[in-house]
Amino acid sequence: MRWVARVLGRFAARQPLGAAGAVIVLALVATAALAPQLAPHGAKEAAFAPYLPPSAEFPFGTDQLGRDILSRVIWGTRLSLYVGLVSVMFGVTFGGLWGVVTAYFGGAADTASQRVVDTLMALPPIILALSLMAALGQSVNNVILALTLLLTPTAARTLRSLALSIRESPYVEAARAAGCSHWRVIALHVLPNTFATYIVLVTVNISYAIVVEASLSFLGLGTPPDEPSWGAMLTAGSQAVEAAPWMFLFPGLAISLTVFGLNLLGDAIRDLTDPRLRGGLG
Amino acid sequence: MRTARYLSVLAIVLLIGFGAIGATAQEKPRYGGILTWFDYGDPGRLDVHAESPLVVQQATAGVYSGLLHYDPDEPTRIAPDLAERWTASPDGKTYTFHLRKGVKWHDGQPFSAADVKATFDRLLNPEFKSPKCGARLKPMVAGVEVLDPLTVQFRLKAPAPFLQSMASAWCRVAAKHVLEKYGDLQKPEAQIGTGPFRFKRYERGNLIEWEKNKDYFIPGLPYVDGVKQFILVGGPTQLAAAKAGRVMLWDTWPPMRKTQAEELARARGDTVDIYQHPVNTIWIVYLHTQKPPFDKPEMRRAVKLGIDRQELVAKSLEGAGVPCGILDPKLVGDYALPLDEVNKLPGCRQPKDQDVEEARKLVAKHFPNGVDVEVAVRSVGNYLDRAQLLLAQLRKIGIRGTLKSYESAAGFAVFGKGDFTMIATQDRAMDTTDPGDVFALVYTTQAGSNWGKFSDPKADDLALRALTETDRAKRVRLYHDLQRHLLQADLSAIPVAWVDGYYFRDKKLMNYKHGWTAYDNNTFMKVWLKE
Repeated sequence: MRWVARVLGRFAARQPLGAAGAVIVLALVATAALAPQLAPHGAKEAAFAPYLPPSAEFPFGTDQLGRDILSRVIWGTRLSLYVGLVSVMFGVTFGGLWGVVTAYFGGAADTASQRVVDTLMALPPIILALSLMAALGQSVNNVILALTLLLTPTAARTLRSLALSIRESPYVEAARAAGCSHWRVIALHVLPNTFATYIVLVTVNISYAIVVEASLSFLGLGTPPDEPSWGAMLTAGSQAVEAAPWMFLFPGLAISLTVFGLNLLGDAIRDLTDPRLRGGLG
Repeated sequence: MRTARYLSVLAIVLLIGFGAIGATAQEKPRYGGILTWFDYGDPGRLDVHAESPLVVQQATAGVYSGLLHYDPDEPTRIAPDLAERWTASPDGKTYTFHLRKGVKWHDGQPFSAADVKATFDRLLNPEFKSPKCGARLKPMVAGVEVLDPLTVQFRLKAPAPFLQSMASAWCRVAAKHVLEKYGDLQKPEAQIGTGPFRFKRYERGNLIEWEKNKDYFIPGLPYVDGVKQFILVGGPTQLAAAKAGRVMLWDTWPPMRKTQAEELARARGDTVDIYQHPVNTIWIVYLHTQKPPFDKPEMRRAVKLGIDRQELVAKSLEGAGVPCGILDPKLVGDYALPLDEVNKLPGCRQPKDQDVEEARKLVAKHFPNGVDVEVAVRSVGNYLDRAQLLLAQLRKIGIRGTLKSYESAAGFAVFGKGDFTMIATQDRAMDTTDPGDVFALVYTTQAGSNWGKFSDPKADDLALRALTETDRAKRVRLYHDLQRHLLQADLSAIPVAWVDGYYFRDKKLMNYKHGWTAYDNNTFMKVWLKE
């Protein structure tokens, strides 16, 4: 345990903003995990008077249907992190594997796959996501699927370029010369060397995925309307800007804080894994 | 205190507004200008005979004329339109309409009785699905005959409130040659009418535009050069347009809620008149009687018992509505069952505990672990809010709903095909203030919006007898019996409330009168702009 504390201490000293980001992210993860215990009421429980301003009983007020906004923001943390994490894990993992494998084998398959990536990247991301959601219908799983498709080409392009240089490395050539199969070389020598970049891609893209999910829900094409999505809460708040500003204030703050924390952490991890900046944590 | 202050401001604006209407009533009409207002959604299809959404009516209202219409100067009065005059036989079973001479279609072709016959033959064709005019006329009308090029006769099956139906904005006369050429009236190029405005432009999702018909059959009308209808989806967009002065009129569904009206009053001050009015529209929860789980009458009863209509009205309409009744006394007077009686019935009575407990038992009897249901809803007005409230209420009785939302026109298409299990909320607007409308529209087997496939021979019989009864006292009794019967039944269309709301008129828009249905008086033939 002592080495963990030492590593964390060095991380905090070297990347104070990153440490702040990590604290925010940990707090969000804890909030998401403990939502049933932390939320005073159910996210969908419309049992109170509408438009109640913040008070001791309802610290964030109530919305237009008489739901406790604090509870919805807490449950929304779980939804946002779940959608962000799962879509990024799928998108970056799938895109990464796609990029690494096609880069390793090269040839016509690589060229063809890159044209597919070009096509997907040529489409404006939010338009692509909106089109997918319009076609698939509103559900949490469909949001994850749309985000996965959105994130896949970027990850494929980034990790392919890295894999192209790894493919030419002496240790890869040596492994081939020693008789290793292509799949063994990919699994044991290429993929592990893309891991640092993979981690950076994951951390950087979670906040992006959360913002896109909120945007889709804000536009009415994300999660189903009764799910406690921060984006959908912003939409509801926009209908009562003057009468109940707390309705958009708190979900807006939650989105900002989450993106801020994740970006700080992501930047710190990127800096630590950048060969020009890193000095190691050990 | 703040609310009280806002209400005071609103009251002052209302008083000033109505005062202004009176003060300016004698002013000389001015020609020119473009009237702007909005549609709550994109109509998609434009056939006024085949469709039922309000946006279709709004998109085409000024383009067509009817034989009769509700007088723009006195919206409760039936007045001649394409018919110059009419006569009724002593037995009330034959109506003869004498048509105006010299009327031309927008493409220059002459209008005649053949067009009237083609229109009503189409509407009365049993194979033709006409959810509004056709559904209302089919039980009444036996046939239409052309007596001469300017005279047409309608034979009724029995005496009935026929003129009210004929004056409905859905019973517009279409050109025979247009119907023959296009087959229907769905496309913009088929919008050739005799109305005060020509159909100029339809940009999907954005704008519908009319231009003045210089050959309109009433000399001197219309006053404005054209009408622009912006397609504005969602309350915030509509309110923003109203606050910015981009629309001159909000006299359409969905009405403003009280908080929105207060916000508008603060933003526009005394440049607008804001008024409260019923919208002659009933809010319904639909259950499909041929699809599980609502093919079981007890599951439909559970929903009827479990829904807290008073809470739905209080929260989603901010109290502006009349919960529970199948008819609203404000609109149809004593034809409506007294609300005191209605509010004591299971499903409507307060407190809800007993009904909720019974509903929970009914659901548990068929689904001990509760049941998951896909709940359809159109993304218009505040339907998503209403749907979320409904889902919260249904969870208490063991029905777990998942919302599936549709764009406006897509939703209507799905509902019309019966491709749903449950519709969380759907307002159905009446065509007239006749009490028979709601039954012809929703509660009889052949009703135009009987989407849940409800069929009850006793209800059909009572509705027909009430519709054709000429003795008023007997008619009132029949409608009371019908309402009692339906409120006890395991309906597929559960009445939640009659909807009220707030509207506004820009004070520079003159001579506009609020119609008694959402569909009437939208032709703008007599309105003019002060500046």
